Parts: sequence; structure tokens; C-alpha cells
Amino acid sequence: MKKRRNLILTLAALILFGGFLYYAQHTFNPYILRILNLCAVFTIFAVTFNLIFGYTGQFSLGHAGFAAVGAYVAALLTMSAAQKSANFFLKPIISPLANVEIPFLPALLLAGLFASVVGSLVAWPALRLRGDYLAIATLGFSEIIRILLVNLQPITNGALGLKGIPSYTNLYWSWGAALVCIFIIKSLINTSYGRAMSAIRDDEVAAEALGVSLFKHKMMAFAVSAFFVGVAGALMANLISTIDPKVFLFFLTYQIVGITVMGGMGSLTGSTIAAILYTVFLEALRPIESPFTIGPLNIPGIPGMRMVLFSILLLTVILFYRRGLMGTNEFSWDWLIGLFHRKDTALAAPTGGAEK
Amino acid sequence: MSSRKLFSMLMSLVILASLLVGCQPAAPQAPAAPPTQAPAAQEPAAPAPAEKPAEIVIGVYEPMSGAQAAGGQQTMQGVNLAYEQKKEVLGVPIKMVLVDNRSDKAEAATAMTRLINQEKAIAVVGSYGSSNSMAGGEVSEKAGIPVMGCSPTNPLVTQGKHYYFRACFIDPFQGRVMAKYAVENGIKKVAIIQNISQDYSVGLAAFFKQSWNELTGSMDGIVSETSYQDGDQDFTAQLGAIGDAEAIYAPGYFGDAALLIKQAREMGFKGLFMGSDAWEAPELVSIGGPATEGAVFSSHYSAEAATTPASKPFVEAFQAKYNEVPSAMAALGYDAYMLVIDAIERANSFDPKAIRDAMAATKDFPGVTGSITINENGDAVKDAVVLVVKDGEFKYLSTVKP
Repeated sequence: MKKRRNLILTLAALILFGGFLYYAQHTFNPYILRILNLCAVFTIFAVTFNLIFGYTGQFSLGHAGFAAVGAYVAALLTMSAAQKSANFFLKPIISPLANVEIPFLPALLLAGLFASVVGSLVAWPALRLRGDYLAIATLGFSEIIRILLVNLQPITNGALGLKGIPSYTNLYWSWGAALVCIFIIKSLINTSYGRAMSAIRDDEVAAEALGVSLFKHKMMAFAVSAFFVGVAGALMANLISTIDPKVFLFFLTYQIVGITVMGGMGSLTGSTIAAILYTVFLEALRPIESPFTIGPLNIPGIPGMRMVLFSILLLTVILFYRRGLMGTNEFSWDWLIGLFHRKDTALAAPTGGAEK
Repeated sequence: MSSRKLFSMLMSLVILASLLVGCQPAAPQAPAAPPTQAPAAQEPAAPAPAEKPAEIVIGVYEPMSGAQAAGGQQTMQGVNLAYEQKKEVLGVPIKMVLVDNRSDKAEAATAMTRLINQEKAIAVVGSYGSSNSMAGGEVSEKAGIPVMGCSPTNPLVTQGKHYYFRACFIDPFQGRVMAKYAVENGIKKVAIIQNISQDYSVGLAAFFKQSWNELTGSMDGIVSETSYQDGDQDFTAQLGAIGDAEAIYAPGYFGDAALLIKQAREMGFKGLFMGSDAWEAPELVSIGGPATEGAVFSSHYSAEAATTPASKPFVEAFQAKYNEVPSAMAALGYDAYMLVIDAIERANSFDPKAIRDAMAATKDFPGVTGSITINENGDAVKDAVVLVVKDGEFKYLSTVKP
């Protein structure tokens, strides 16, 4: 009975959300649309990082590298031959790649697959390590990927980057991918695999003693995570329509870690909320960088002020809500309805309908 | 416990709500310079030549923070000075809106979208850093808003773009300037050391080689070609490979160049150092010390060699305002802003399309960095200067015509 009610509510919410996307895509100006698209991209980044860190407990800093792989694969597959020859004016592109041009959907999937393969390759040797050591190893791999992008000039155009990537990304693609990503990761968490991952997070030794294969489950978390990071990277490339290796500096990983911690480790809802807050905040805070007057005070515009304010905000969240905005709680219909019934019991329910 | 959770939820809702409010078209912002005009008009009406709008918006996007902040801030000195001198065009007050692009591609694209859709800019100036400009250019092209670049020198910036122009020359020309200088000064063997993680450096090295090949008829003179990465501090490996080169061409940023020069001299290299416009920063000398003496590089402009009637008043006004000699970036920022104003005046209209056409037709504009003519690609055709480090200062050496 309850299950059915939740299913109906979920479907209704999805239809409502679809309607909103349709309305937004047709009426909002490109500025708002761009921010909404970036929200979706960062949502995927944060949710996938949560799978590796929040649920499986592996502190990996390879996100920027995986995103770079996805972005470059999608960019090279969707650019027209003419655009490619214009881009590669210093060193020509290698021949089989020069004339490839495929639609966006297969390009997205290939970008994800490629990133997933790279993610697994990275994870294979790195997963023997734990904690801080794993973080350093994955950080190193992510840097290797970036250095390769800089030096493999006949494939990636090196530091010159790629421009004129067709801007296929719109709200349907970005939020569609984000919803699929959240749905799949939520489903995975609710299976026995997901439970095993949580067990690994809580205590590796105990989990292994219970017969959980550490390697298998860690690899699974990495592969699934890297797949969606690759897709998000591809969405980003086709959104800003120009990329170069500097887009995927370590700073990108920092941002993702910050968002996930702010949202709450072990909460997909938290990741989603924090990703949206982060992206929107960065833009909404722009006015404080231009000069303004408060009473007799004339404050000159200081570029970079919003980053300061944002950092303070992040600090506040970490200091007063150590577990992030949502802790390990998820949004669920039971919880929402419980809220209206003023039943405190519903709050603790960590499982339930996931789609937000 | 649960009430706390509830509170945190409520708080996030409040934040979300405040964000939605924040998303509304921003309240009119004061311009970067001291606000003098009354903030009467908020909605710049669709510009029609017949009726005068209450004010027009010229957008500026520059890296004011992040890795390229130094260049962005130098540029803004020039843009601000130009804005102070020209606050009105065709009798309509100008509102200048500066948006920071944080030296980041995604951010640059967002910044440009904001200028066009939120601030309703009819023309845009920017940006320092070719990669920022490329990201912004994709957006402005689609929206049909003309942009005047100040110092993005990469050829890809204006390539295939109808609405992107620039006040500076491009890298192929700059590479040729130094190749020509080397050949004319009897240098037979050159070593190239490039920063492979900077598109700017990679491009210049390639164009230098190309011109060298054209001028000497062969590539034999290039004795070595090595690369380094951003953040490298030790250049002994690259310097070990230069063999018997008489000169080193190192088109990178001033910080790398200063260290490289110092280390080369310590290793006993006696030849000539050649560089590019990114060398022009006081830090080159302050970091590199006496080793930089005699190094030459190409640049956009020199305060000493007043090339046009506009140069001298600019240098004086700049010194009066900032109490320092204007850098090339500041001069280009000034020129870029003035080129936009000039285009609006000649178009006699606030229609972006008309401004674009006027910009494309710019001919012999007396900029402070030289006489500027925009060619069919949207690039400025103008002279370059060669500067030399002498007694710790940048001195004018010669002018090279396009």
C-alpha cells in the first residue's frame, strides 16, 4: 500500500520535474539555462564521489582525471572533421580520429565507458592502498592523465585544447543523465553489493572476515562512479564547447570534495542539494564583487569576494553541521509525509524512495 | 536530535529560497569607477538609432582572480582609465559592467552569458588569456554580440568567429618578429624551450620555427627543442640540451623566464635570450636579477616610442592616475575600450550588428599601441616593438612592421 503510494508520488514528481525542464528550456534565458546545466553536471560529480567516499569509504581524488577522459572522448567524437582540422593547426590529428563524427548519445556512452575503463585501470593497483595512501595514489593518476593530455598533441591537441565542440548539452540531457545516475547509484546502494560497500566503509577487516570481497566491491564502486563522471565530463565539454587540460586541474576535484562534504557523506540527497547550492551561489554572489553602498559605507568592488564568502559558508556548515547538510539521511516520501503528520519517527528512515 | 535535523532542512530551504530571489535579474550595479550618474534607468530599451536609450551597457570580462589575475588587473587599469575619459557615446551615458572570469573556461563562458543576458551588454571587452576568450567567444558568437579582445593572441580566438575582434596582433606575427630579429642579428643557431602546458607558449614556439624555416630556408639552425611544464623550477635538463646554440628562444611567462635565464647564466651560457610579450613584467628583472641584462623580447607597445598622437596623452594620464608607467596590457585594455566606442560612433547606432560591422571596418584607428586596422579575420594588423632589458629596465629597441 505504502509502496504503491510512493511509486505514484515518485512518478508524479518525475512528470512534474519533466514539465519544469520543458518549461525552463523554452522560456529561461541562456544565462539561467547555463547555470541549471552546470547544476546537473556538478550533481553527477558529487553523487559519484559520494559512492566512492561516502558509501565505500575510499578516499579517491581522481575525479578530475576521469572527467577529463570523458570530456575529451566526447569532444573528439562529436566534433566535425572541419572543426578538427581547424583545431589541429600545429600538429595534425591522427587519421582514424580525424573523420569520426557520431551522435551525442553514443558519444556520451562511449565517454562513460572509456572513463570507466580508465577508472578501473587506476583502481586496480591503487586499491591495495588504504586511506591517505589511496588518496595520494589516485591524485597522482589524475595528474598523469592531465599530463598525458598535454603531451599527446596528435590526439588531444595538447595545451591548445579543443574549441568549437558542438553544444548539444541541454536540460534534458544534463538532468536526464543526473536522474539516471542518481537512480542507478541509489539502486546499487540498496542491493547486497551496496550493503557490502557500507560494510567495507565501516570496517574493512570485519567485512573481509564476513566474506565480503574487498577488491570486487571497491572495483565496482570505482567503475560505476568513473562511468558517470565520464558522462558528466562529456556533458560539460559539450556545454562550454571548449576544453583544454587546465579545465581539469586538481581544483576541480577539490570543488567536488567540498560539495560532497557539505551535502553530507552518505546522502545522495545532500550531494544533490549541495551541488545545486554551490553552482547557484557562485553566480548569485556576483553582485557583492561590484561596488555597493551600505548607508554611509562605500565599499569598492573586490574581485574574488564571493569565493571568500563562499569559503566562510563552507566553514560554517562544517563547524555547525559536521555531518553536512543532510548527514546520512535521504529524502523519502515517508519522511515528507511524516513531516506533515508531525511524526518525528519518520525522520530517521534512511531508506525509501530516492529520486529527488 | 530530530528538531535539529528539521532545522537544518529548514535552513537549506531558506538558502534555496534566497537563491531563487538572487537569480532574478540583478539590481542595477554601480559601474567600476565612482558612480556619478543617477541610477535612473534600469531597463536599457532595445537600442534603436532613432530613439535614445537612457544608458547603454558595455561589458568587460577579465580574469580578476585566479592564475591570470595579474594580467587581468593590469588590463583593467587601462580599461578604467578609458572609461573615465569616455563615459558617453552618441550622447548616451555608458554603464560599464566588469565580470570576473576567474581564469577559468567554464566561468568565462558563464561570465559572457551573464553580460549578454542579465546585464544586456551591447558590446563586450575582454579577455586576457586566450583560453578564457575562446570560451567566451562561443557564447557571444551565438548571441550576436560584438567583442573586442584586448590581449588574447592565439589565432584560434577569432578564427571562424564573426563577432570576435582584437586590438592586439596574433602569435604567428609575434613569432616571426623574433625569428626576424635573430636572423638579422646574425644568429645561426637557436635553442627553443617551450612551456608545453601553455597554449600560448606552444603556439609561439611553432610559429617561430615556421618563420625561421622561411627566413633561413632550413630547420638546421634550430639545434634543440625542449619543453617544460607549469610550475617547473629547475631547467637544467632543458639547458643541458642546448649544445652550441647562440640564442635561446623561450616564449613563456615572466616567472619561468626569469628562473630559466638565471640558471642558464649560472651554467655558463653566454648567448642571447629571446622572449615574447608575456615577459613584460617587473618581476622578470626582480627575480632574474642582473642575469636578465640584454634579454630581448617582442611586445605590443613601449611608452618610449610614441607611435601615434594618442600615445603621449595616454602615458601622461596614466601616470597621473596610477603613478606608474603603463604596461602593454593596460595600453591594450585602453585601446580595446576605445575601439568599441569608436565603432559605436561610426555605426551611429546601438544595434550590436551595426557595431559589429563598424568594428570589422576599423581602419587606421590611432590607438595608443599603434595604428590599428582590423583585417578580414578580425585581427589587428599593427606594428610590434622589440624591447631589451637595460640597467634593469625595459628599453625600446626597434619597431617591426607587419
